[in-house]
Amino acid sequence: MLPSGGGALDFLELGGGIASRSPLQLFWRRFRQDRVALVSLGFIAFLIVIAVAAPLVVSLLGLPGPDVQNLNLTDSFGSPLGPSLAHPFGVDQLGEDVMSRVIYGTRVALEVGILGTGIATAVGVAVGMLAGFYRGWIDTALSRLMDVVLSIPILLLGLGVGAACAVRGCVKGAVQPGLGLIIFVITIATWPYVARIVRGLVLSMREREFVEASRALGASDARIMLREILPNLTAPIIVYATLLIPTNILFEAALSFLSVGIRPPTASWGQMIAQASPIFTTAWWYMVFPGAALLLTVLAFNLLGDGLQDALSPRSVR
Amino acid sequence: MRSIRMLVATALAAVLALALGACGSSSSGSTTVPGSASVLSTGGYQSPLTTSLTDGKRGGTLQVLDETDFEHLDPGIAYYSLDYTVVFATQRPLYSNKPDAVEPTPDMAAAAPEISADNKTVTVHLKEGIHFSPPVNREVTSHDVAYAIERGANPNVANPYLSTYFSSLEGIKQANGGAIKGIETPNKHAIVFHLTEPKGQFVADALVLPLTAAVPKEYAEKFDTNNPSDYANYQVATGPYMLKNNAEGKVLGIGYSPGKSATLVRNPNWNASTDFRPAYLNEIDIKIGGTQAVIDRQVLEGGNVVENEPPAQSAIKLAAENYKSQIDISPGGGSHYIAVNNKVGPFSSIDLRKALWAALDRKAMDRVRGGELVTNVATHFIYPTINGFNEAGGVAGPKVDYNEHPEGDIALAEKYIRLAGYPSGKYTGEKPIEVVASSGAPAKEDAEIVNQTLKNLGFKTKLTLVEQSTMYAKYCGVPKEEIDVCPNVNWIADFSDPQTVLNITFSGNSIVSSGNNNWGQVNVPTINAAMTAAESVNGKAARGAAWAKIDEELVRDAAAVPFDWDKQPRLEGSAVHGVAQLWNEGAWDYSFTSLK
Repeated sequence: MLPSGGGALDFLELGGGIASRSPLQLFWRRFRQDRVALVSLGFIAFLIVIAVAAPLVVSLLGLPGPDVQNLNLTDSFGSPLGPSLAHPFGVDQLGEDVMSRVIYGTRVALEVGILGTGIATAVGVAVGMLAGFYRGWIDTALSRLMDVVLSIPILLLGLGVGAACAVRGCVKGAVQPGLGLIIFVITIATWPYVARIVRGLVLSMREREFVEASRALGASDARIMLREILPNLTAPIIVYATLLIPTNILFEAALSFLSVGIRPPTASWGQMIAQASPIFTTAWWYMVFPGAALLLTVLAFNLLGDGLQDALSPRSVR
Repeated sequence: MRSIRMLVATALAAVLALALGACGSSSSGSTTVPGSASVLSTGGYQSPLTTSLTDGKRGGTLQVLDETDFEHLDPGIAYYSLDYTVVFATQRPLYSNKPDAVEPTPDMAAAAPEISADNKTVTVHLKEGIHFSPPVNREVTSHDVAYAIERGANPNVANPYLSTYFSSLEGIKQANGGAIKGIETPNKHAIVFHLTEPKGQFVADALVLPLTAAVPKEYAEKFDTNNPSDYANYQVATGPYMLKNNAEGKVLGIGYSPGKSATLVRNPNWNASTDFRPAYLNEIDIKIGGTQAVIDRQVLEGGNVVENEPPAQSAIKLAAENYKSQIDISPGGGSHYIAVNNKVGPFSSIDLRKALWAALDRKAMDRVRGGELVTNVATHFIYPTINGFNEAGGVAGPKVDYNEHPEGDIALAEKYIRLAGYPSGKYTGEKPIEVVASSGAPAKEDAEIVNQTLKNLGFKTKLTLVEQSTMYAKYCGVPKEEIDVCPNVNWIADFSDPQTVLNITFSGNSIVSSGNNNWGQVNVPTINAAMTAAESVNGKAARGAAWAKIDEELVRDAAAVPFDWDKQPRLEGSAVHGVAQLWNEGAWDYSFTSLK
């Protein structure tokens, strides 16, 4: 974690001849020494560019759009044709370009990963802070709620909600099938993980001197939580969120694999892998390329998370 | 009533169709099959129409690999193709189909049914010398056939098609498992069916269904008092094979272990002189479970082994390229079409329905299903092997412009959209239409082609993929859900009569609030009236002609958009001389199959 003023890094301010460094500078100094994490960060940045500029990228590569069907690119048995210059990753059963769909699939993966994690983290932080700060019956109630939610198998929840909301949506139409539904399920299922960590940190932090000082100066509860405690939670939250992103990307892929995730014709890696499995023996490319994209993305986020953890918590030992 | 994966049984009447021979029917070993060379041909691959039924080697054990378990093995309940593979090897209905035939052959019956002049009485005489398997052992009588049908009305048995095909049987409405007034057994080898309506031909046709397989009342009655009946677990056989049992007749855990295996052995009481089945094999061992892709490889690389479910698309290609002698293609495997909501929404407009039909690339739809090897482009609803196919237009179908370009004709589609009141030639309605489809391959791919076609026509769409059973049970089969398009519904006739193809699926009188099979809610008064009249038409040719006219009216109304007449593939091991059933989606016939 990154303690603020009055915290464990005060020693950095000491020592007459030594130039002081901000926590961010310290973090960056450590982080840049982790080459694996740097490469991962670069790969994720590349993915973000690909996702944001997918139409431009596909156009520059001379590929057809992700849902352009061309059955002439299948043989007389309906089997898709393999990689070629025109279609470097081959095509699928509908003659759609696999590379184009992998590129557009990046959008879905990152949207689910980043947006879903962001919302779940925000909810988790809010609930965790309330539980840890106020303790008593509020803590008891919120903690039991976390226990209940954590006991729900997330995949079964996703399957159930996905099936129930498949056609017309649910919660009076507020949750529509597709991306919104997946993010909804991710938020429901993963906020307690964040909340539990935050609660534990807040429980110890609320007894620290800088909090007591703030309280003695007449600061309100809200101010203490938002201005004193929350900044000190930044490091663990960033690390945990970074590790949650690949989990959620895999979760989306799993739901799409099981046909309750992203609706076709929107491209999703999990959906592509599901479609590829029955024809793997005759169309290996259809599974290999989206599978590789999923593998590399998840790996990159995990390695980045490890690197962030090392850089933000130098005393931790892996 | 029938639905997906269900049996294709053949029609009964003994008189050969007078009109079919002339226009493109195909003669198989024993009968004439409605169709033409182009739709019945399987491109040189073996098929039920070309495989020899005789000269098999006697003896040996056939291994069968089934991915899924049976639904029901009780002849009074069984209704699915996989169930029929066992039921028709162990039971003998009054009439049955040879593997290459759509004309029935007397089985338990001694001859063709006698239909009275007023078409209200059907009389069937039974063969003598047919015995039940142990532990019953005694000779079969007409009382056993009567009980078999009566127990179908027992709520503990609840036969799925009794009320559909035997609705004209006198007293059927009051039947609950006891005697039915309309069934008479004047002596122990004759049974008479008395009808309230002149539907003798149709009832006679339905006697090929396994409900008419004899069941010994004194033995089965105690099992039928249980809810549900567990007669299947103690069943006795009349066919050449029986499910292996113990001295008390118990089958469960001995000849059939749910989810695991089934074993068929020879019926010691079977009298070959009374049966047309050669029954070459000594034993059939069925293993249940596994995954289709693995099973496909095991069969292609195996010896005395077959699989009884359609192989994966990649396995079909592999077999066609490298194991050509081990694939069997059976025409007449049902049809697929797009159900569009005729009642509400944009497709209540006939012109928009015609536009979709015109625009759809039916060849592409069939290509994703495996191409010409396993499909034919559909041009109407009565499919090959069903009586009336040729009269309904044969391969070309009714001559309407939107039916002429199977690869799709966008310009023509736009003409119809303009006729529907959209001057730009594109649909401009704002509300997205709901498209609900089955999620499995290749249904999903078909759904995506339909979805793209709709978008090309200007529709905003909301495509949802669900499990096939969910698609039918919760959406496409529930009128109040008001689904606009169900892109891949499938229908397989119970026997080769056109009424079984068109009536439940397109008659307004068949619409029900749940479990509805008239998915498009087609309800055209003139067509309904024509169907009601055609139900009472007797004579094979006359029925074919009457229902063919209805088929043409449905095409002219663009009530739905047909795109595929299925041909069903099956795989066999290198040591198997497999004989597939034309009438049962190409499933292997254990009573004719042999080892090389």
